[in-house]
Amino acid sequence: MTRAQQTLSIGLLLSSIYMVAFLGLAPLPEKLQTDVIPVLPFWAIVTFGAYLLAKLGYGVLTFNDVPQAHQELVKQIEQARVELKKKGVEVN
Amino acid sequence: MSNNNTLDKLVGASMLVVASAVFLYYTIWTLLLPFVDPTHPVQSLFPPRVWAIRIPVILLLLGGAVVGSFLSVVMIRSNRKKAIKARQKEAGKKRS
Repeated sequence: MTRAQQTLSIGLLLSSIYMVAFLGLAPLPEKLQTDVIPVLPFWAIVTFGAYLLAKLGYGVLTFNDVPQAHQELVKQIEQARVELKKKGVEVN
Repeated sequence: MSNNNTLDKLVGASMLVVASAVFLYYTIWTLLLPFVDPTHPVQSLFPPRVWAIRIPVILLLLGGAVVGSFLSVVMIRSNRKKAIKARQKEAGKKRS
């Protein structure tokens, strides 16, 4: 099963469960039906956004500099630039 | 370089805090408040619940508009450059 198929099937499952609840096809306590069910998609979107922001923030927080690898990389870029210049390609 | 590090950590931590605060506030607002007595003092911390729907919708529409306009500006600019290059090529061919 591919990742797309998996995501699609989970999405369809959740949407059908939500549709059943939203259209009142399953008897639910009244307060739940009128106040909570209609708000759920918006809550899901806001929660998703908050989750993404938190994940980003955590990644930025725990990011560690690697000065050695940085030096190596700069050297390699210089090498590549020199070699390409010999063959007539200009890199900034 | 150490200065950059603390600034980065600060930005990351603040993003985390904002995300958690927004999540908690919105969850309490939409999912927990309906079950709280309408006369309880906690209700005064939250605006009327219509806004719990309006604010995300407005933000989504604004975000979509910003992304769409950015995309269109970039595409128009790139098309203009392509047209200029094509015109230059035509002029070069005619000259030679």
